Amino acid sequence: MSIRVNPRFINDLVLFGAEDVQLCYHCGDCSTVCPHADEVYKFPRKSMRQLQMGLERKIETTLEPWLCYYCGQCSEQCPREAAPGETMMSLRRWLISRYDFTGIAKQFFKSGMTEIITIIGFALLTAVFLFYYGYSMGNIHIYDGKGAFLSSPFIHKFDLTLGSLLLIFLAINAFRMWYFTMIKGTKVPVPWWLYVKELYLLPWHFFTQKRYSECESKRNPKIFMPWIIHLGLMLGYVIMLILVMVFIERLQSGPAIQWQVHIFGYLATIGLVTGTIYIIRNRLNKTYEQYKKSHSTDWVFIVLLFFIVLTGIAQHIFHRTGLYELANITYIVHLMCVVPWLLRMPFSKWAHLVYRPLAMYFAAIRRDAITRREISLKSNSVSIK
Amino acid sequence: MRTGVFFCQVENGKNLNIDAIAKYTANLPGVEFVQILGTAPRIEVNVLTDLIKMKSLERVVIAGDMPGYFKPVFTKAMALAGGNTDEIQLASFKERGASGEYAQDRAKAVIACASMAVPFSLVAVPAGNPVNHSTLIIGAGIAGIQAALEIANAGKQVYLVEQTGTIGGHMAMFDKTFPTLDCAACILTPKMVSVGQHEMIHLLTNSNVTEVTGKPGSYRAKIHQRARRIDVKSCVSCALCVDVCPVKVESEFDAKISLRKAVYIPFPQAVPNAFLVDEKNCTYVLSGGKKCGVCVNKCPKECINLDETDKIIDIEVGNIVLATGYELLDVGKIEQYGYGVYPDVLTSLEFERLTNASGFTGGKIVTKTKRFNKRTQQEEWFFSPDGVPPRNVAIIHCVGSRNKKYNAYCSRVCCMYSLKFAHLIKEKIPNVNCYEFYIDMRAFGKGYEEFAERIKQGGTFVIRGHSAFVTMNNGQMVVRGEDIINDKMVEFKVDMVILAVGLIPASGNEELSRMLGITRDSDGWFSELDYNGSPTDTEKGCIYVAGMCQGPKDIPDTVAQAAAVAAGVLRTITSGKGVGHLSSVTLNEIEARAKNIHTISGGHYVNQS
Ligand SMILES: Cc1cc2nc3c(=O)[nH]c(=O)nc-3n(C[C@H](O)[C@H](O)[C@H](O)COP(=O)(O)OP(=O)(O)OC[C@H]3O[C@@H](n4cnc5c(N)ncnc54)[C@H](O)[C@@H]3O)c2cc1C
Ligand code: HEM
Ligand code: HEM
Ligand code: SF4
Ligand code: SF4
Ligand code: SF4
Ligand code: SF4
Repeated sequence: MSIRVNPRFINDLVLFGAEDVQLCYHCGDCSTVCPHADEVYKFPRKSMRQLQMGLERKIETTLEPWLCYYCGQCSEQCPREAAPGETMMSLRRWLISRYDFTGIAKQFFKSGMTEIITIIGFALLTAVFLFYYGYSMGNIHIYDGKGAFLSSPFIHKFDLTLGSLLLIFLAINAFRMWYFTMIKGTKVPVPWWLYVKELYLLPWHFFTQKRYSECESKRNPKIFMPWIIHLGLMLGYVIMLILVMVFIERLQSGPAIQWQVHIFGYLATIGLVTGTIYIIRNRLNKTYEQYKKSHSTDWVFIVLLFFIVLTGIAQHIFHRTGLYELANITYIVHLMCVVPWLLRMPFSKWAHLVYRPLAMYFAAIRRDAITRREISLKSNSVSIK
Repeated sequence: MRTGVFFCQVENGKNLNIDAIAKYTANLPGVEFVQILGTAPRIEVNVLTDLIKMKSLERVVIAGDMPGYFKPVFTKAMALAGGNTDEIQLASFKERGASGEYAQDRAKAVIACASMAVPFSLVAVPAGNPVNHSTLIIGAGIAGIQAALEIANAGKQVYLVEQTGTIGGHMAMFDKTFPTLDCAACILTPKMVSVGQHEMIHLLTNSNVTEVTGKPGSYRAKIHQRARRIDVKSCVSCALCVDVCPVKVESEFDAKISLRKAVYIPFPQAVPNAFLVDEKNCTYVLSGGKKCGVCVNKCPKECINLDETDKIIDIEVGNIVLATGYELLDVGKIEQYGYGVYPDVLTSLEFERLTNASGFTGGKIVTKTKRFNKRTQQEEWFFSPDGVPPRNVAIIHCVGSRNKKYNAYCSRVCCMYSLKFAHLIKEKIPNVNCYEFYIDMRAFGKGYEEFAERIKQGGTFVIRGHSAFVTMNNGQMVVRGEDIINDKMVEFKVDMVILAVGLIPASGNEELSRMLGITRDSDGWFSELDYNGSPTDTEKGCIYVAGMCQGPKDIPDTVAQAAAVAAGVLRTITSGKGVGHLSSVTLNEIEARAKNIHTISGGHYVNQS
């Protein structure tokens, strides 16, 4: 079987953050220390090798980058300082752009400027649209109920539209991921029932991110910080999204605090605030390997999220203290952050919320398929004897 | 001739002011064009060809630390432009010693010579000084010994200064040498004995050089000889003093895996073959003469004088040879291999002593045994001749070498001695499993590749892949690694791990380099004058480097270099002219001389004046 080689692949990947791949001399230390590498999925050294060889079409079909949870132990140990951890991160960025059929992700990863300008553009569009809508349909002095500047039924339609748009993009990209990894990349036959057998892995990995915790359990002393923090952030996020998408009418009514929904809102806020601040601080101080190098998209991602949370809180406070005008304006600012954030989702790092659980699911299926194949080969060879 | 000068891979600052050098270059006769190509130049052949054509360049000088690297591109461009490819000249700063205080002028001189196509070494010749016929050699490993014998056999006086109590250096610690598996002692001991007996060699053990003054050809050195407290001439090595000495310390010669007394001889064949008192540990010395002293009366020859004092010896010499060898990197700081935590993780030198037939286990390879130390009330691990041989041994290459966190360079001998270890283990322990984890197999010498192949065929598991760590699982050591060729993750249970630890320059080198005014490279090894052309000379005239102190090398290379050094020393002595310090020749002088020399087409150099 022949495979096409792209000798410039390694240079292309620099824009995605992998600068030191050439330094690797294949000692295998990284694969040895990696808590997630095993007999079937050996990385990151093999990925380094594939990169050095320019095996673009091969890497496209690998799941390994998603199996890495960036604990950074490989980079810490690498004798050549070839940054294997960051290479896996860069490959994830590249894969995201590869799965994306529109080519937008690629532009964003290649140029931070393009991304920022697009975000600002969409933020301004949102502002113009919402101010126009608000002034023509409501009153800036009213936040909620009759004559509200941004009435909740309208917002509900608005966010559901956004949500569906996003789902369509994501679904297409996820399908491409499946096609690359399971059709092109899995060389052994995969019976359909394996897809059913391993299905539980999807919600399991989505809600627990268990492997993230395994990253750290091998460390001495054990620190579960990044995992716990991420879990809080992620749960907070999911809760907020449910509140907004399903309970927006309750969330927005006031000025009395609606405890049935806001209790969840507060819990989510705790997770989101600690998470974003923790990540921003670590990235600024370059603490762990994972935070030492920040691609422009890393910053956009976390800072935008931080703004959303900040404006959400401000809006909540203004509303509950009767400053309706301010609350309305903050609402628009909140949505100026939210709209580009959501629209960007299928094209950004954040798409990992879909790709990671999917990758774990596919990886398990592929592993099962390979073991099945090995067993059948063994029994065959016995019969030949 | 219309000349173009290109600076490749150069950086302003630290060492050189490239802008100033470029300005100087532009004013040189014939130089039409100067370009600085920065730190990581990407040179396109066609652009270069056009440039050569446009400026009608007839000669091109590539300047920088590694100009040869860019030569192919320039040659191609020159050929495409229709020029003479013989007119590509290299101006190599690093090779010509453009570092340290003379860097700037040296770089200019190198370029000046290259632009006139005059070999630098032809004109940069310092004036000679009258030479004293004695030679000082610092360090008495195989390098120092070989140089001393060569010079002394030619009838010239040698002062051989060694800091420990015996000569021999590291080679004396080995059992067998690769790749011939000759017995190291059989080669070394006769040489050591003749050093001890040679009338032209003045041996100064337990000594250090503390001061050097003077100029090439006539140096004065002060040597501090620490009191041995035992008379070398009358000691008969009966070892009666040892029996009574109450102090036990780790033996340096045994790489600290055995104990010796405070009065000791490093090893039975030591030269000088006499005992000495370890002043850092002897109770008598430490208590200022108040306690102990029992060994004195025990000595039948009455040769112990515990009150002997240190001596300062002044000598005058013409040439100085540096042969200070190497040390092992401190492995304790590379934590993942568990050295110092798991008892049976050994350094390479520790293993050499363990496997040595004249060592304290009689050459039996054993794992450590546990015992209870009554004094410290703690359990401790030690090597006992009755210990159990390991059944599985892992040898890990490149520990602290080729690693940006420790030594970026390759230590050069460890691949080979690791293979030697595998052989010794296989030979001595039946049915043993031996695993070698390597990154790249550097079997670089004559017969070495064949040796490596033989070991592989001998049943040692030679694994392409470095092991990243050693762990302990319920009292069983486990080594993990990636077997890259077989595409497998491997995990072996082992009883002993041997680390091929990286080599570093001897700790005294820094002081010596300051004292003698010679440079060391960024890794701490002494810098030679010219890596290719004069690998044994240094920047400073009449000072030479031999053996490992100039950079990692094996015994054959060390011996060859030491002999070459002897030739250099004898050359200066017989010619009566010691080469001066290169810095004594000024830039103007070099320029003037170069101008005097003119290249004619046949490549012969003639002096016009
Ligand atoms: C474990 C191991 C196994 C090896 N096996 C082999 C082998 O099988 N075959 C082979 O070819 N090579 C082998 N080598 C390499 C070999 O050891 C060296 O090539 C050789 O010993 C170099 O000799 P040297 O004289 O330059 O240095 P050394 O042997 O280190 O001698 C230097 C001497 O200088 C003295 N000294 C240092 N500083 C000062 C100072 N400031 N003042 C006075 N004296 C000083 C030291 O005490 C020492 O006696 C091995 C190396 C190691 C580490
Ligand atoms: C709503 C869902 C999620 C949100 C909001 C979220 C948020 C984040 C954020 C902000 C980071 C970046 C940290 C940084 O910049 O350093 C991150 C990284 C990470 N996330 Fe998530 N995440 C979500 C879902 C998931 C899921 C489902 C998984 C795994 C199954 C996961 C695994 C990881 C891992 C391993 C990292 C660290 C490595 C990397 O940056 O790629 N996340 N996540
Ligand atoms: C279309 C999407 C969204 C809409 C319409 C929306 C709307 C709102 C509204 C109405 C509030 C309540 C203010 C009040 O108390 O009156 C709020 C608060 C908040 N929002 Fe959003 N929001 C959206 C998306 C998000 C996202 C994606 C996040 C971040 C993950 C977020 C984080 C917050 C936070 C932290 C609060 C404050 C907590 C609270 O009030 O319970 N919002 N948002
Ligand atoms: S540890 Fe570094 S040098 Fe070794 S294989 Fe991994 S990336 Fe390459
Ligand atoms: S960062 Fe951690 S999980 Fe990722 S490859 Fe390196 S060691 Fe493995
Ligand atoms: S005087 Fe020193 S060397 Fe002699 S027996 Fe006492 S401790 Fe040992
Ligand atoms: S000689 Fe071999 S073991 Fe030693 S540093 Fe070089 S490659 Fe590594």
